[in-house]
Amino acid sequence: MSPLEIIILLPILAALAVWLGAPSRGTSLAISLVNLAIVATLFVQYSGQHVDGKMAYQAAHTVLTTPHIQFAVGADGLSLTMALLTTIVTAAAVWCTVDKERIYYTASLLISAGALGAFLSTDIFFLYAFHELALIPTFLIIALYGHGEKKEAAWKITLYLGVGSLILLAGLAGVVWLCSPKGALTFDLAQLKPFVGKDNAAWWGTYCFFTLLLGFGTLVSLFPFHSWAAPAYASAPTPIAMLHSGVLKKFGLYGLIRIALPLFPGAIHTPWIQQALLLMLLGNILVVGLITIHQRRLDDLLANSSVMHMGYIFLGLASGNALGINGAVLLMFAHGISISLLFLLNGKLRNQVGTLEFDKLGGLATNAPFLSIIFGIAAFASIGLPGLANFAGEVLIFLSTFQGFDVTKGFTMLQITTILSLWGVVISAVYMLRAYRKIFFGAPASGLFVSDPTLSQRVPMFFLSAVLLIVGCQPSLLLNVIQSSITAIGLK
Amino acid sequence: MNPLNIELGLGVLGLLLLLAEPFLSSSRKVLAYVAIAGLLVALLTLITSGGSMSVPATMQEFYIADALALFYKGVAIISTLAVIIISLEYAPVLNKFVAGDNARGKEAGLGEFVSLPLFVCVGMMVMASAKDLITIFVSLELVTVSFYVLVSFMRRSAMSLEAGVKYLILGALSTGLLVYGMAWVYGLTGQMSLDGIQKALVNWKGDNTPLLFGAALVLAGLGFKVAAVPFQIWVPDVYQGAPTPITAFLSVGSKAAGFAVLTRVVETFTAKGSVIGDQVIQLLLILAGATILVGNLSAIAQTNFKRLLGYSSIAHAGYLLLALACVHQHSLAIAPRNIVAFYLATYLPMTFLCFLVLSAAKAQGVGEDLKSLKGLGHKSPLLGLALTIALASLAGLPLTAGFMGKMFVIFAATYESNYLCLALAIIGAATGFYYYFKVILTIYSTPEVETEKIRLSVLSKVMLGVFVAAIIVIGVYPDAIQHVLVAAVK
Amino acid sequence: MITLNHYLFVSGILFAIGLTGVVARRNILTIYMCLEMMLSAANLTLVAFSRFHLTDGLPDYNAQALVFFTITVAAAEVAVGLAIIVALYRTKHSVDVGAVDNLKG
Repeated sequence: MSPLEIIILLPILAALAVWLGAPSRGTSLAISLVNLAIVATLFVQYSGQHVDGKMAYQAAHTVLTTPHIQFAVGADGLSLTMALLTTIVTAAAVWCTVDKERIYYTASLLISAGALGAFLSTDIFFLYAFHELALIPTFLIIALYGHGEKKEAAWKITLYLGVGSLILLAGLAGVVWLCSPKGALTFDLAQLKPFVGKDNAAWWGTYCFFTLLLGFGTLVSLFPFHSWAAPAYASAPTPIAMLHSGVLKKFGLYGLIRIALPLFPGAIHTPWIQQALLLMLLGNILVVGLITIHQRRLDDLLANSSVMHMGYIFLGLASGNALGINGAVLLMFAHGISISLLFLLNGKLRNQVGTLEFDKLGGLATNAPFLSIIFGIAAFASIGLPGLANFAGEVLIFLSTFQGFDVTKGFTMLQITTILSLWGVVISAVYMLRAYRKIFFGAPASGLFVSDPTLSQRVPMFFLSAVLLIVGCQPSLLLNVIQSSITAIGLK
Repeated sequence: MNPLNIELGLGVLGLLLLLAEPFLSSSRKVLAYVAIAGLLVALLTLITSGGSMSVPATMQEFYIADALALFYKGVAIISTLAVIIISLEYAPVLNKFVAGDNARGKEAGLGEFVSLPLFVCVGMMVMASAKDLITIFVSLELVTVSFYVLVSFMRRSAMSLEAGVKYLILGALSTGLLVYGMAWVYGLTGQMSLDGIQKALVNWKGDNTPLLFGAALVLAGLGFKVAAVPFQIWVPDVYQGAPTPITAFLSVGSKAAGFAVLTRVVETFTAKGSVIGDQVIQLLLILAGATILVGNLSAIAQTNFKRLLGYSSIAHAGYLLLALACVHQHSLAIAPRNIVAFYLATYLPMTFLCFLVLSAAKAQGVGEDLKSLKGLGHKSPLLGLALTIALASLAGLPLTAGFMGKMFVIFAATYESNYLCLALAIIGAATGFYYYFKVILTIYSTPEVETEKIRLSVLSKVMLGVFVAAIIVIGVYPDAIQHVLVAAVK
Repeated sequence: MITLNHYLFVSGILFAIGLTGVVARRNILTIYMCLEMMLSAANLTLVAFSRFHLTDGLPDYNAQALVFFTITVAAAEVAVGLAIIVALYRTKHSVDVGAVDNLKG
């Protein structure tokens, strides 16, 4: 049995055990730490070498003969990075869940299993299926235990993601059709060949790619299909917000990098697709960015900022070269860690203070210096300050768009978009710093008392900020691993 | 062995149970156990000797025992089994509305309620094998007439009677359309057997309008049985009023048998070179699109769980019709008939699970409204989990059986380049997310009044476990069903 | 000379009358009679086709077999159907379609 199968199955079994009455916090925490340990080991051991183009730790069981579907797992640098992100965030999310009903733990474990399954499957069917596995727990938890307009938010996320994944399914039907070897439909990524359309059939590939972009894009809250994300994250209980915004949302980007880009090489450079994508991602960065500035509550602000930052990752994809993709993957990891840390702190404040409105908060740093330092790290990381993980990713993305810059021809549309996106950094600096100042500094609001968390509660915060710092100072730890896989799946 | 033996055996068993009932001094439940045992034997016989079935030469004109037939026979037997198990759960309600005041507590009516499903089962099994207009008609009527009785079985309940009358009139109407259509198809082609009709359609010279008229009437008649729009009007009312086990039977058994016949008839009409092939496909596509849309959109506003399941059953019929209409695509390597069979196999466990919970709830005094199911997930975690899995499967969430069926339909529509129907299927499935998830949300929300834990008999628990396992196994390992279908083809 | 078309015409009219009755009438018993009329129309069509499809000078007996089945099934339907209608009358004291409108969503 491949270790990858174990780490997918463990959380599912644990979720079932918890649902049927096993001690909820103990079981969940133990399993998520075990998973973290296994994935970290695999990650460290991963040599970056692809033997004959094969992935590491492969295992496959056929579940359907025609068309060929198998439960197949395999890991390369890309999927290991995402798995690492998943297990880190899961461990932190479970750790910070205290005194909650068992359904919380079940949901967290199921979402984690869904994400791990999606990132580690090498068969399109299970890659898709595992992602959907997380839909019901997300929906139930938000609808039953969310804050504010919880029902509305739950329906919005469910219907958007449902429609998005159905469009994605139609796109995947196209992939299987166009890219399968002749005469045998297969869902196996290793057997699917890049689509080369003859002159009058080339548009099939372009349209299929665009369908995938829309489907995956909806799952990543690509503008204008983003309006589910902000209310859902703002209203979701802390562990679910962490897991969904930090991990599960990255599935759409992962799918684009894993399926759409390599199987339809060149489609991203088709002018109308690239232009459409650039316009949409500018919507994420600028439109949603400006909306974020106007938020008056911390949870709304974080939820919107998470939508906004997806724009940068899409910019990396739009560049279509290996450098941009490397940066995108690194930023996916960094954003996952930083946003889940921010949501964790957000939850802490909500529990202790009872309000998240900036006008009613202030001066918390006096009584809670630890909280204020951690929040500072997370906020700076999210803005993209050097020395923290997000910076490395964003820089790579910005640089990648200038690859092949020709002085005589001036800026291309891609480069103009990059320049506009740089304003986004200013926007996020504005709202993040303002939030930081309003919450932690200035005159203490009357009647507020916030203490630093207990030692046990500091562990996940400390852990997440350590990851941000380490990756920020030494991004090659991840980039070495990511780089080899990006080249191996045929992106130059 | 002669496959008809199983049908005959079950028919005789049904008659014997009917005869034994008046002389029985012990509990009527014995009859149900005998019926269950008989059905299990029939199922075992079907599985063990399925490969060695041979139809005698005299019957080959009108009776076929191919893979598809054996598959649908299996579906018929399993659904009858499930119905009888659910009936045992539902017995208190039946007794209340069947027995007069002086006969309470004597389990009045349970005997007939056990033997009639056996007759229905026989009818459905013959339908699965029918390849001749007469056989189709007679077996279909055996099913329909037995259902008239079953639907209006609770003769002291106005609801049940009303449902019965509605089913009676619309059922008889569909019979009329069917026979008249058959008369025309026969009259024009001069053939009663589907093979002969197919040959005549391929060799037809001249105007095909009268042929289309006959074919459309036949499709309309069958459309009633499978609840295709615009012949679906009876479904919500009849589903709501009928005794719950019978609703389940209508929803699964009757629909499956209807699709078995529809598959053969449509394959005949749309055979390669048939003069009415294209028009029939057009007609099917229109029916499919309308059915998906109407079924799903009407389900949104429902507050009664049984009624909601009625509309959901209409919606599923739409996907099935869409699969049936995708006859041109060969890329998927699964024939439309197999997609339909697969879909029905996945539809069976999830629907029966919902109705099992509904029956047990009703028998223990819980209503059929959605809001009376509140808190079920907390009171009975296992039952809640089973219902959640069933609903997720109905909604078509991956790793459950329901997703595989929907995926095949969406793939078939994509490869057939039916983008309009594909869009409708996607809209329908998204709507499905809404109304099935609404039920899931209800069973996990906090109830206004304290509810009792719902108890199940051992038999029902076994059935619950088997069906939940089936949903997950088919969802994760679809080859399980595919093997049955493909192996039987060879 | 009466041809096949004459029979088909008459049976078509019969079928149309039946269908109209089912749709337009309010009394359940009348509706039921109209349903029977539709079956008779089908029977007439079958017999007519059978009579005019001569093979070796004999009519095609397949169709006539179907006619007998139809008659038998119709009888069974009437037996069951009337019982249900009687039961309905006992509870509602009416056989008007307006009386059966309790089920709605």
